[in-house]
Amino acid sequence: MSAPKLIVPPHIAVAHAMPDLLPAGKPRRGMIGFLRRHPTVAVGSALLILMLLMAVFAPYLATIDPTALALARRARAPSRDFWFGTDMLGRDIYSRVIYGARVSLTVGFSVATLASVVGLAIGLVSGFVRAADAVLQRVMDGLMSIPPILLAVALMALTRGSVGSVIVAITIPEIPRVSRLVRSVVLSLREQPYVDAAVVAGTRTRAIIQRHILPNTLAPMTVQATYICASAMIVEAILSFIGAGTPPTIPSWGNIMAEGRALWQVKPFIVFFPAAFLSVTVLAVNLLGDGLRDALDPRLAKGL
Amino acid sequence: MLAYIVRRIIATIPVMGVVAFFVFSLLYIAPGDPAAVIAGEQASPADVERIRQNLGLDHPFMVRFGEWVWQILHGDLGTSIFTNLPVTTMIRQRFEPTLSLMAITLCFTIVVAIPMGVLAAWKVGTWIDRLIMAFAVFGFSVPVFVIGYLLGYIFALELEWLPVQGYTPLSQGLAPWFANLILPAIALSCVYIALIARTTRAAMLEVLQQDYIRTARAKGIGQRSILFVHALKNASVPIVTVIGIGIALLIGGAVVTESVFAIPGLGRLTVDAILRRDYPLIQGLVLLFSFVYVLVNLAIDVLYTLLDPRIRY
Repeated sequence: MSAPKLIVPPHIAVAHAMPDLLPAGKPRRGMIGFLRRHPTVAVGSALLILMLLMAVFAPYLATIDPTALALARRARAPSRDFWFGTDMLGRDIYSRVIYGARVSLTVGFSVATLASVVGLAIGLVSGFVRAADAVLQRVMDGLMSIPPILLAVALMALTRGSVGSVIVAITIPEIPRVSRLVRSVVLSLREQPYVDAAVVAGTRTRAIIQRHILPNTLAPMTVQATYICASAMIVEAILSFIGAGTPPTIPSWGNIMAEGRALWQVKPFIVFFPAAFLSVTVLAVNLLGDGLRDALDPRLAKGL
Repeated sequence: MLAYIVRRIIATIPVMGVVAFFVFSLLYIAPGDPAAVIAGEQASPADVERIRQNLGLDHPFMVRFGEWVWQILHGDLGTSIFTNLPVTTMIRQRFEPTLSLMAITLCFTIVVAIPMGVLAAWKVGTWIDRLIMAFAVFGFSVPVFVIGYLLGYIFALELEWLPVQGYTPLSQGLAPWFANLILPAIALSCVYIALIARTTRAAMLEVLQQDYIRTARAKGIGQRSILFVHALKNASVPIVTVIGIGIALLIGGAVVTESVFAIPGLGRLTVDAILRRDYPLIQGLVLLFSFVYVLVNLAIDVLYTLLDPRIRY
């Protein structure tokens, strides 16, 4: 007589085999191993490096001067001479797109750095100085209550319009997010016994910040900075697109799209090429951010 | 409960105060002299000075701020420099398209994003999950106007299923109103769907690991009921929070989407105001959008107590 067969209803989960608790083989160490374990970091940084190279070597890659006007060849479709076609003023879209990478990457990196530095400073002050905390938090609450793009747009209305003012206008709405993050790290670390011990031992605040606070904020801040970089590039394009961003004399992806706007129903390629480059670059930065988050903070990895 | 709601409402007053302060400072430091603009080009310096005194523009900063807040509390947002119409009138004229666009976007997003997130959490680790997460990354990476142009090109220009641009008021019929708003709403919802699907997935994964879910499974409750009744209810607090925060994305996105699809709403008005440097109008719009944003998030804070009776304040 055979053993009675165990009937398992389909919706009840049954472990068919013991999960492999230990990974087979030794994980590779070093950079290559890291990139293998985190393919999104590998893909993201590869694409980003490609874009960076394109921005740096723009003068060699571009076929002609991106600002050269030639009214005789207005709004031509892509051809062998003009790979991405020409815009309303006869400028070569391929060369403009190549140069446009410079603006996007400059804005992205500058905003990420600036917002991180200022946010870190404000977050540290708010976490350590009780008296300043209440005021700073109210100011940050107020800043966060204004939708970021709207705030950036309003700030742009105050300035003459330059890459510098675009950077500042995009940075200001991002600061509260960084400062909140730093403040929360500081507040939770202050409850840690080892930080208490350091305080009791008479360690100066500066040393506590350097030894305990900064190393713990570094990982989440790197991830945050990557996301800020991605969103800054989108906001720059949006500002330029609506005509309140990078001055039209500088080729940026947002500007090229703004110029193609009037013609997009008949000449969609003018909008298409800068849009594709912008999307790929932002995607690269986002992939890098997701990968870094998983790599740097395993606690978060399972979630978002 | 009532005491909590009152306390929350009072707590938003300083926040709105800070917002008002920022917005007022914007105009204060804005280049150009409003008195000179109003006086016109032929006015003598004495005329300009008289207008300045009449308008109270010679008062110190804090006094002017106080006067300005007092005006706003009486429903007066000032007068547009460009059209000479009251800012409140201009906003009222453009209100409907934006409200319609946002309402459709919000409904569409919730209907699509939450099932997506639940599905991803249920099928975690499978190709379905990966596909949904990949979509989320794309949603974050492709700017709203790019999606707008792409949709417009495919569905309006090539297939000719929907109107390319424009807006038809709701009073002229439901169908034309809706047809004009489908593409902009889908374009605008992409980021929002990505955000909410990711949050839903994360919140669901957290909840699905809990003991009561195992108990429910052991009792033989069906998968769908476990996911959408038992788990989703407990995962709802973070999801609702992000829906509220995401309203900011919606507002920012509306500014762009309305430009792409030529919708005469508040977003388009904002762009025009910026390009014309119509500072009173910019102030009014920023203030209005921020007020709506704060109000929505206040409503959500109150909603928590209904969603999760464990939350007591």
